[in-house]
Amino acid sequence: MRYSIARDTLATAFGFAVAFLPAQSFASGNKIALVPGGPHPYFAGWVQAEQDAAKDFGISSAEYKVPTEWKLQAQTELLESLAAQGVNAFGFFPGDPVGINSTLEEFKSNNIPAIAIAGCTQDPTDAEFCFATDVYQAAYMGTKALIQSMGGKGAIVHLAGLLVDPNTNLREKAVEKAVSETNGAVTLLQTIGDTDDQEKGDQKVNALLASKKDQVGGIIATAYISSVVATKALRNLGDKRIKLVGIDDDKIVLDGIHDGFVAGTVAQNPYGQAYVGTYSLDLLASGCSVKPGAPWITTPQTAHFIDSGTVLVTLSNIDAYKEELKALSHKMQKTFKDTYLACK
Amino acid sequence: MRSCLNDKFSRTPSRGIADLLIRGSARFGLLFILLVLWIVFSSLSPGFLSRFNLGSMFRSVAVDVVVGCAQMVVLATGGMNLSVGAIGVCAVMSVGYFLQVLNLPLPIAILATLGVGGLLGWLNGVAIAKTGVNSFVVTLASASLFSGGMLILTKGVPLNALPPALGSFGRMSFGPVPALALVTIAIGVVLHIAFFHTTLGRQILAAGANARAAEMSGIRVNRIVVVAHSLSGMLAAAAALMLTARLGAAMPSVAGDDWVLPSFLAPVIGGTALSGGEVSVVGAILGALLVATIRSGLLILQIGDFWLQLFLGVFLLAAIMFERYRATLMLRQQVRRL
Repeated sequence: MRYSIARDTLATAFGFAVAFLPAQSFASGNKIALVPGGPHPYFAGWVQAEQDAAKDFGISSAEYKVPTEWKLQAQTELLESLAAQGVNAFGFFPGDPVGINSTLEEFKSNNIPAIAIAGCTQDPTDAEFCFATDVYQAAYMGTKALIQSMGGKGAIVHLAGLLVDPNTNLREKAVEKAVSETNGAVTLLQTIGDTDDQEKGDQKVNALLASKKDQVGGIIATAYISSVVATKALRNLGDKRIKLVGIDDDKIVLDGIHDGFVAGTVAQNPYGQAYVGTYSLDLLASGCSVKPGAPWITTPQTAHFIDSGTVLVTLSNIDAYKEELKALSHKMQKTFKDTYLACK
Repeated sequence: MRSCLNDKFSRTPSRGIADLLIRGSARFGLLFILLVLWIVFSSLSPGFLSRFNLGSMFRSVAVDVVVGCAQMVVLATGGMNLSVGAIGVCAVMSVGYFLQVLNLPLPIAILATLGVGGLLGWLNGVAIAKTGVNSFVVTLASASLFSGGMLILTKGVPLNALPPALGSFGRMSFGPVPALALVTIAIGVVLHIAFFHTTLGRQILAAGANARAAEMSGIRVNRIVVVAHSLSGMLAAAAALMLTARLGAAMPSVAGDDWVLPSFLAPVIGGTALSGGEVSVVGAILGALLVATIRSGLLILQIGDFWLQLFLGVFLLAAIMFERYRATLMLRQQVRRL
């Protein structure tokens, strides 16, 4: 008697548990990892985006892992370790656009798809495609906005990013092109590289302003940290004569726009890159492949480039730009599969 | 006396694994630590012993061992070579230039690259021997010189249209053992024979143990220093060739400062004396394996990204302190028996 009551109670409890406890089921059993080139505030946007994508598309595992330093070896060790732990699809910012290719070849031979996000690998490559900001176009747009804010004349300085960043060379060319289109009305006084590092950037920007403040009419910063450093420097100087257009949307830069020290900033779309990137990796790991006839953009680095979109943020749209970028990301996700992938 | 000692030792019963650990060589102690770590990591995460992970680890160790050997041959003389990385990156870009720009056949390009490494090492050796300036200072200066010269000549542009055969070799493996690891073993065997079974090797060790006594014994110490640095340069070039094969491209961002610490770590952990006169090729291999094992194990256990360096340091310190403690215990036991 006692035994049958106990048995019945257990059965009932089990029934309730099955009925009412949240049973988590996943549409996909893929394990996806996003791996940046190293520690950098730009990639902070990837964390939430990946979690949102995992939730929205039922992906069982989506991790964000950071190499301890900006070294190719640290990144490849991390990638290979994750592959050994069962990750079967990777999104990454290449620690080196050429050096990462041998690891990608290994992944390909083990049927592990990989895509480059926010920065591209150099063709020939086994990365399925590159999903990033068209940095050339973004730098060009930012420089044009700077020139307009300067009244179309004067001397500008370009604060460029890490020399090992594959995007830096493209940005330099874009700035030079925008300047050349003014037919001499605007001149490029100097390009200062490796400013995307807090200590070095701080030293270089302050040295520039100390020595050439009166010659400089505008600053175009095409790197995250240099945008922040330049904003702080101009604010400390109290100088609103020198126009600044930066990149990315750090709070310091946005406050600078509010207070008149910064003319504008080109907001990239790290959220969209990670959100759509995770979605596409799940599809690739589930058997989809890239569509040869898709509208790929050809850049100096790769023939399979997709622009993740940018927005020029000024005082007029500073409160609405985030929604603009999110709407852009969701719009891209909705049409991504049909546009770029072939799925069985 | 010797037979008494032998009798004494042979009569002393073994107390099992603890006694074996204490009596064994430093290399045995390292091997024991390695085995323990492998057992621990593989039981905590089966992925540690996966073909993928082992292949990745061995490929990384293969280059690190040769980099360590490049430093070891100079440590043997009581000096040091801070330009191992700089010679490495010069060799990387040299092989890229020979293969892609000059279109030399692969074997010729390899020999020429080894020659470049040897030449740069020879320059170091000559500068040290002629001026009498400490190798630390000379090689610190030459590191900047070699790196700077390389950047000026190459303008920092990578060369990635190398013959596919080089990259294929770099990716080749026999089960979990990469082809690059076999190259390392071959280099290790040659070095071991050179140090312990040739006159030159003995002279290098003698010059490192006591340069004055070696000079008075008829060994031309300056010549030995030049030879050791030339050999170091060639070994750095060999490591550079292996790295280029691994990457399938010649890139100016590899080697350089990244090689300085690993070049000391492997041989010193393995028992090579910083003061000179004592080397261990097997120890260098085990030392490199230990560092790679700890790094790989912590990664595979998903130790938080920024905790990795801290735990790597803790594990290394623990491993080295265990080995030193073991060596001290052994010495005490031997003294007691006498």
